[in-house]
Amino acid sequence: MTQPSSQPNRLANNGRIDRSRPLRFQFNGTSYQGYAGDTLASALLANGVDVVNRSFKYARVRGIVAAGAEEPNAILQLGRSEAEQVPNVRATQQALYDGLVATSTSGWPKVDGDVMGVVGKMGGRFMPAGFYYKTFMSPAAMWPKYEKAIRKAAGLGRAPRESDPDIYDHINRHCDVLVIGAGPAGLAAALAAGRSGARVILCDEQEEMGGSLLDTRESIDGQPAAAWVERVLAELAGVADVLLLPRTTANGYHDHNFVTLHERRTEHLADSAPLLNGRRQVRARMHKVRAGQVILATGTHERPLVYANNDVPGNMVAGAISTYIRRYAVVPGKRLVLSTSNDHAYRAALDWHDTGREVVAIVDAREKPDGDLVTEARSRGIRIITGSAVIETRGAKRVTGALVASIDIAGFKVSGRVEELACDTVGSSGGYSPVVHLAAHTGARPEWRDDILGFVPGKVKGQVVAGGVNGKMSLAEALADGLEAASNALMANGLEAQGGTLPKVRTVREGKAAALFDVPHLKPTMRAPKQFVDLQNDVTTAGIALATREGFESIEHVKRYTALGFGTDQGKLGNINGMAVAARCLGQTIPETGTTVFRPNYTPITFGAIAGRHCRELFDPRRYTALHAWHVKHGAKFEEVGQWMRPWYFPKGNESMHEAVQRECRAVRESVGVLDASTLGKIEIQGKDAREFLGRLYSNPWAKLDVGKCRYGLMCKDDGMVMDDGVTACLGENHFHMTTTTGGAAGVLEWLELWHQTEWPELEVYFNSTTDHWVAMAINGPNARKLLAELTDMDLSNENFKFMDWREGTVAGVPARVFRISFTGELSYEINVQANYAMHVWEALFEKGEKYGLTPYGTETMHVLRAEKGFIIVGQDTDGSVTPEDLGMQWCVGYKKPFSWIGRRALTRPDTKREDRKQMVGLKPLDSRLVLEEGAQIVLEKELKLPMPMAGHVTSSYFSPVLGHGFALALLKGGNQRMGQTVYLPMADGKVHAAEVVSPVFYDPKGDRQNV
Amino acid sequence: MSEFATIDLVPTEPVKAESPLAMCRVDVITEPKAQSAGVVVREHAFLGHLVLRGNAGDAGFVNGVEQALGVPLPLKMGPLSVDEARGVSLQWISPDEWLIIVPGGEAFAAEQRLRETLGGHFAVMNVSGGQTVLELSGPAVPEMLMKCTPYDVHPNHFPVGKGVSTTFAKTTAIIRRLDEDRWALVIRRSFADYLYRWLLDASEEFGVHVAR
Repeated sequence: MTQPSSQPNRLANNGRIDRSRPLRFQFNGTSYQGYAGDTLASALLANGVDVVNRSFKYARVRGIVAAGAEEPNAILQLGRSEAEQVPNVRATQQALYDGLVATSTSGWPKVDGDVMGVVGKMGGRFMPAGFYYKTFMSPAAMWPKYEKAIRKAAGLGRAPRESDPDIYDHINRHCDVLVIGAGPAGLAAALAAGRSGARVILCDEQEEMGGSLLDTRESIDGQPAAAWVERVLAELAGVADVLLLPRTTANGYHDHNFVTLHERRTEHLADSAPLLNGRRQVRARMHKVRAGQVILATGTHERPLVYANNDVPGNMVAGAISTYIRRYAVVPGKRLVLSTSNDHAYRAALDWHDTGREVVAIVDAREKPDGDLVTEARSRGIRIITGSAVIETRGAKRVTGALVASIDIAGFKVSGRVEELACDTVGSSGGYSPVVHLAAHTGARPEWRDDILGFVPGKVKGQVVAGGVNGKMSLAEALADGLEAASNALMANGLEAQGGTLPKVRTVREGKAAALFDVPHLKPTMRAPKQFVDLQNDVTTAGIALATREGFESIEHVKRYTALGFGTDQGKLGNINGMAVAARCLGQTIPETGTTVFRPNYTPITFGAIAGRHCRELFDPRRYTALHAWHVKHGAKFEEVGQWMRPWYFPKGNESMHEAVQRECRAVRESVGVLDASTLGKIEIQGKDAREFLGRLYSNPWAKLDVGKCRYGLMCKDDGMVMDDGVTACLGENHFHMTTTTGGAAGVLEWLELWHQTEWPELEVYFNSTTDHWVAMAINGPNARKLLAELTDMDLSNENFKFMDWREGTVAGVPARVFRISFTGELSYEINVQANYAMHVWEALFEKGEKYGLTPYGTETMHVLRAEKGFIIVGQDTDGSVTPEDLGMQWCVGYKKPFSWIGRRALTRPDTKREDRKQMVGLKPLDSRLVLEEGAQIVLEKELKLPMPMAGHVTSSYFSPVLGHGFALALLKGGNQRMGQTVYLPMADGKVHAAEVVSPVFYDPKGDRQNV
Repeated sequence: MSEFATIDLVPTEPVKAESPLAMCRVDVITEPKAQSAGVVVREHAFLGHLVLRGNAGDAGFVNGVEQALGVPLPLKMGPLSVDEARGVSLQWISPDEWLIIVPGGEAFAAEQRLRETLGGHFAVMNVSGGQTVLELSGPAVPEMLMKCTPYDVHPNHFPVGKGVSTTFAKTTAIIRRLDEDRWALVIRRSFADYLYRWLLDASEEFGVHVAR
């Protein structure tokens, strides 16, 4: 590891860094030093690191270009350990911390001498724009292979291969005014809004709030601008309803002023979030803000000029030079040439000059620049070359010179002699593009303004635009605009602006800028050295020209053809220049060309922040019954049913699932078992029309169900297909207790409410879920009565408590409703008690049940036992295309009910009466040891020949210990007519199973066992 | 039997009772003392919970409820009707639905009184086994709630006395503001474990104390 000794480009004084806090960091294996207050980019520049990456497509060496979110090149991989890897980090946005480890994302480990560079040089010729589409799109089947190779070669970083050690979360926020951007306009707006008593959120993506005020040459109220920033922030921090969110990027602006803010809470401190007061803290937080009004004060991005070889390290945006010098005390070179179309960029040369380093020349595209800054540069004796521009830079890994020529902007040509200036840095400025991205997220198209040579945000309801983004470029204008924006936003919230005063600012006179985007070269666009428009995606003027020549005239097509503004860049630095080039090639204006669509997120966001705490055991609610702790203690294996965790089976010792299920089945058939049936949906129904309502909901009749009785019911959708089933008990003349399937509970309650509210509001009936209120314990088996008798005061005799009766009494001293219903075909009681007392009753059952070998059983045994009886499970044996009659449940359809019911009409159609519909049958495999696969297709011929008509499929299949063979339920075309026939089930491995079509009721067909 | 089956589900002789949180594991770092915690969580288990359905436009119903419960029926979303001394609260849930909470063991009596007093069409359903109440106190509760619900908990929008039924994490909860510093959640039994874990997780950064 090499150890550079000093920071050659660091200034001795000034800047907002803390020289008393040196920080060590590594870049591509080399250790460097920076200071607290640095960004990774400023620290790299301080150390004289020129090359930070290789480019995406051509693998050209690249250096740092900008100082903020618009940086296209310094996109690095961070992380000391594998688990802490973070891709897509812009060095310009990453605060330096001690121990930071960064690497280039392409060409690493040797970023300045990589094999891709050779390919890249060839690629210059062989990989024009549209290359991927043209070369790799056919044959289409090969694309996944090409894509894999391309992605690997291109790569802007990689995901970690280990779990993220950090946590992230979401927070919901509401405010009257959300101010995005804490530059002069945003601060003025937030201050006015905060003083007026509004609920205000002020967010800013940078480490420090203040925006352009942190590096401006101007002063406010006679003091350095940064002092005003400090005062304003201190005041805002003291207002209860104002929230300041630094390091927080507004990443998405969605409908109805819903804005997602991404707050990086600890990324400036360390790779992983350190503990805070001994507690975990989140690394990043997503704020979901619902704002009354949004004030966009997002400022501008300076546009670089586009000229040949403008990607050689040492080419920078002019304003970034000022930022590095004034904010970070770093001069990113020794000899500067500035190429500009406007006055404002002159400050870069003045700032450079202030450091004592050489300004070789200012090259101004205008013939007669004459603003205040121009005058100052002149008075310092800086050479100003007018009517000219840098048309090309020289150098390989660092700029060594700039070719300057006088140009004819209107004629788009070089109009005079070419001079080469020796320099190591070229700053350029083609003007300032309002940061319209967020407003564009809402779908509002940006609008072109000739006076500022830029697009401003389109109008969005609830949005106020202030400062640079609104075309108010000077400090005085921006401050005033912020104040006015606050006033408008407050008014929209029904509030009045109070205490807004404008700070005093000296006006800096600036002359009119020239409309220069890409600079003409001696050679035509297609032949000149590469002139990069979008550095991140390696899009050149030639690429855009080629796209337009090939007929891609819509800017959206140009974007897709060239990749202009793709991906994490989202068109920050290059978009307007790209549109200008397209406009020039198409011979139209920029507004005629229009913009592409900017999409969320504004800058990349970690998946962690998107997921928040919705991960691991908090990913989705898990619902538990009141008996869950007992199940866990007794070794249950669980099955997810909807969100419920249900015991699946209770293995003893080393039992396999099959062994456990066989044992549980035998216990129920031979003695007694118990199932936790609490998850079944329960709906209480009250009202004088409850019975009538049930009659319209269920396919079977309810008019004659007496109080004290239960009935099984089938519910159809209006298409006549079975949607749910369950037992409903008549508790009172106007009072019913309905049960539904576990997964269908919420849907059935909604179904009832829907029909009641929209179709039959005149029926006097109310429903409410009581699923969680009751715990249901189903004891099943020949010894069920004996067991229950030991715990209850109820008369359990078959005469007084018949099958399908319910009774009230106590069980183990707890008031209970007991339903004598059966899903196993055995003698069965379903004990319902208030959930708080359920564990007591359950434990009492096991205390008394020991002598009967009371066996807890889970859903798997329940499935076997019910299938032996041919009882369906909605959703397993049905799929939304099965009628009650298909299931052989004609007995459950009441065509003679006086009022119609849901599904009746559909069930009288010829199609639902067809005899060759798929009907429920039993299948008995000819090989008695065989358990057919659920889902297996049924065919009628043993010999396989094409086409082979499908006759049906297996819906449920198990091994039955009581029958001693495998068995299945199936839906089979015309199944009722095929009893006794043999059908075949061809399997994927080539085997063909044979099975006999039998009745779906395999066990106790007369139903004697449940009636004893 | 009659029109409605009513049953007192509370055992006459005491038996073991378990709240929905009986099985919940606490696996966040907690504060040993309430004073140093930003959020203090305390369960009020085994209360009587009843769902009341009826026609808010029927004066007989509205007056009858007040007569039976001793607190007026709130007719729109907003402040609960509360008799703190008797531990009775009545909350508007939706245009024809209210939640009644009474002290433990009194749900059946409340139902009986309503059935005796009210005529016409209404419904009252005991859900005491299916819900529990969590009281939240401490300076960080509003901020913690913001991590749980999109509902605005700012005092302008959520004054003392208000209660709403709303989204909470990935399920629902009833949120009530008892006074300046105290809040309450009414949560469903089967979701209690998930919600409790979510709540403690969200509270951890502020320091969370679980009061017994």
